[in-house]
Amino acid sequence: MSPYFKKSNHYVDRTPIFPESHIVNKYKDKQITNRLEENVQIFKEIFQKDMDFSVRTFKLFHETQSTIIYLNSLANKDIINNDVIKPLQDHEMDEEKNIILPQYIIENILFFNDVKAIKDIPKIISAIVQGKAIVFIDGIQEALEIDAIEKEKRSIEEPDTERVVRGPRDGFIEQLPINVALLRYRLPIPEFRVEETEVGTRTKTKLAVCYIEDVVNPTLVTEVKKRIDAIKIDGVLDSGYVEQFLEDNPTSPFPQLINTERPNKVVGNLLEGRIAVLMDGSPSALIAPATFNQFYHTTEDYNEHWIISSFVRFFRIIALVFSLTFSSLYVTVISFHPELIPAKYVVAATSGRHSIPFPIVIEVFLMELAMEVLREASVRMPQQVGGALSIVGVLVVGQAAVQAGFVSPITVVIIGMSTIGSFAVPSYNAANTFRMLRFLLIILAGTLGLLGLAAGLMIVVNHMLSLRSFGVPYMDPYAPLNLKALKDSIIRAPFHKLKRRPSNIHPKNPVRVGVTEKDYTNYNFLDEEEREKL
Amino acid sequence: MKHTDSISSIQLAVIIASTIIGVSLLVLPRFIAAEVGEAAILASIVGILISLISVIAITLLARKFREHTIFGCNQLLLGKYFGNLFNYMIVIVFIVIMGLEVRQFAEVLATGLLPNTPIEISIFIMIIICALVGYSNVSTFAYIHFFYLPFLLIPMFFFLFALEDIETYHLLPILGHNLSVKQFLSGAIIMTQVITNYFVIAMLIPYIKDYENCVKHGIWGFFLGALAILYCIVVSLGVFGAKELQEMYWPILSLSRIIQIPGEVLSRIDAIILITWIFAVFTTLLSYYFVIVRGTAELFRTDKYSFITVLMIPVIFVFALIPNNVYEIYEYASKITYVSLFLFIILPVCLLVIGHFRKRTGVQ
Repeated sequence: MSPYFKKSNHYVDRTPIFPESHIVNKYKDKQITNRLEENVQIFKEIFQKDMDFSVRTFKLFHETQSTIIYLNSLANKDIINNDVIKPLQDHEMDEEKNIILPQYIIENILFFNDVKAIKDIPKIISAIVQGKAIVFIDGIQEALEIDAIEKEKRSIEEPDTERVVRGPRDGFIEQLPINVALLRYRLPIPEFRVEETEVGTRTKTKLAVCYIEDVVNPTLVTEVKKRIDAIKIDGVLDSGYVEQFLEDNPTSPFPQLINTERPNKVVGNLLEGRIAVLMDGSPSALIAPATFNQFYHTTEDYNEHWIISSFVRFFRIIALVFSLTFSSLYVTVISFHPELIPAKYVVAATSGRHSIPFPIVIEVFLMELAMEVLREASVRMPQQVGGALSIVGVLVVGQAAVQAGFVSPITVVIIGMSTIGSFAVPSYNAANTFRMLRFLLIILAGTLGLLGLAAGLMIVVNHMLSLRSFGVPYMDPYAPLNLKALKDSIIRAPFHKLKRRPSNIHPKNPVRVGVTEKDYTNYNFLDEEEREKL
Repeated sequence: MKHTDSISSIQLAVIIASTIIGVSLLVLPRFIAAEVGEAAILASIVGILISLISVIAITLLARKFREHTIFGCNQLLLGKYFGNLFNYMIVIVFIVIMGLEVRQFAEVLATGLLPNTPIEISIFIMIIICALVGYSNVSTFAYIHFFYLPFLLIPMFFFLFALEDIETYHLLPILGHNLSVKQFLSGAIIMTQVITNYFVIAMLIPYIKDYENCVKHGIWGFFLGALAILYCIVVSLGVFGAKELQEMYWPILSLSRIIQIPGEVLSRIDAIILITWIFAVFTTLLSYYFVIVRGTAELFRTDKYSFITVLMIPVIFVFALIPNNVYEIYEYASKITYVSLFLFIILPVCLLVIGHFRKRTGVQ
């Protein structure tokens, strides 16, 4: 900026202050006492109405009065019975030693890996609601926190939204530790970092920021953490919530972070120098930064031969362009510029239209609308009904509409092409964006012809060019031109040409493929006679 | 003096090229042919060379005063009041030029593509597309220019199909028939007038990353754009000849009508060329709008770019509607470009000379 600019200085912070939990506030900075009854009474008051709140009193070492409290919906009862209460009751204490009780119990009696002695009441409250068991001992001003949590979880399955023909079949599930395990299993290196933070004042959801320390740009890690810390919301129920807070431009319809349920995709991106954010309770991980380029890539592209992958990527681009422009191009050519295509094609395209009561814009618009309704219905339907619905929708309704003279057959073909095109895009959210923008283009093309279509396309492209994901230009390898990154864009170059990590995210360590010595032989070295000739 | 935006000198070159290729090119061969006849090619080359002086002057200015746009340089070297006078003139000239350019393209669209659509709508659409781009970020501006450059060259590719129709006798004699030096130079000046809009780079000076290369790359970018224009002139002159050119209103449009693409997939190529020309016109208008918005913001020392952007929509719209017909557009255009010739060519050279004599330390 030139020195003649003044910076506007009227920014006022209007973020509302979140009220903290009043129960926690009430006991803020308070600690438990050494009287058992008093301590237990505090928690009984808080949880008295809950059906899953359990209090069990027993005699520690057959003599000291003790109480264990826990939420029985979350804690595993077997563990509490056999591994907590039984050893504590049965143990015979050595009389001679001068012992400090909590330490003695932790070190000698309980064989849990996660046992702590705590004093602060707010900490105890949050431990109980997380499913931990708390043991109070009469006469001692400390409580034992025992991790006896048992969470419900489903098995690891292949994610439905990202199927591959060739590649690993495991997908993330809802539990964060298992998802982290899936990543650790693929990255057995000490540089792999999983940092934990918490989001949501009421849901207290755990987030894990994953990155490879010696690959990722440190500034990116700070920026991601900064944006996560800035999230102020009462609850996050899926990583989609977090995604909307991390985006650079919240008003844009384009996805600015990748979400995936595949651990191998996450690891691949971590190795490129990106950051993954995993959330407890959500099977989809977020990857930042994302460029538009990545939304038509799949993990399979790297598994298959590079020529085949490049070929497939090319068709994905075509599908993307199809899904955006095909129906609007049809509208504008038929209704404004039939002279653009040779006369015999025009005759073929318009011959079915003589009985259609609507102008072509309305016809295409209604058809697209029907297609969207069908698509939405088949997503929400139970799986068994969904198949039947799509057959009824596509075959019966489409056929009947054509026969009734409401829609021309060629329109059905065009709409079918553009819809199938949008399904060929690997990223579901990017495909959704393009489907939405298609309506804008149809309206513009129907009112202003080719000028409207060009104007609509330019508005979309200009918007994409102005987007940034964590500072990285969204259309990166194309504008600004990045010749090295172009090797992994529409084409997927062979690995010995992809020696460097994408330079647009400025990784700390840019080299990923070393120089390999190639020894191509053009004789059969297994054959002894041929080998001797040399 | 801090800004996070930056553009490379290659992006600068691309901005020059895609700004030069604009709507005036559609009519340029006729104007030059009317003035100098068969000497059009030579006159254009001379015109390009005259403009080159200013490209070099601006890029040298960029190397010398890295922290100021042309507006800052004016204030710095000519004094506050005198400099600001020129700054106001630059903004007004750009508003007028942009209005005329939009109007001109709307007329082309009405003839070639949308005969039933009122030109007001075309004008409005073109202005709105420009206004929807955010001007607060300079690198976005550079990315947009970069992205559209290949599309700008598509018509040039289609004109290859017209090469077989070129008659050599249309291009000869290269020096024209009995031209006086004055006539020849006025032909050259037309060329200069049309391509001086690369002046937008003078607004980008503080954002250039590699100052060392900016002169070199600036000249390359200028030649890329200028050669594309020269190529269009050669093809249209070669195909139609100087006599016929003077009777066509938009020779390049007529040229695209005679192109036949083998394969019979598209029957009319001129609509496609017009569409890609929308991209070319858009990038040119974007540069104008950029100067208008950033210039106004700098004059009033504010950074409310989006406010100025919205404010300028009706202003440009009104200026676009002032001419009554196509003939008046070019009448106004030729008048305003004489002012712009002074501002865009003589002014940077003067600034460079003044800057050379005033010592760097004494200035600030």
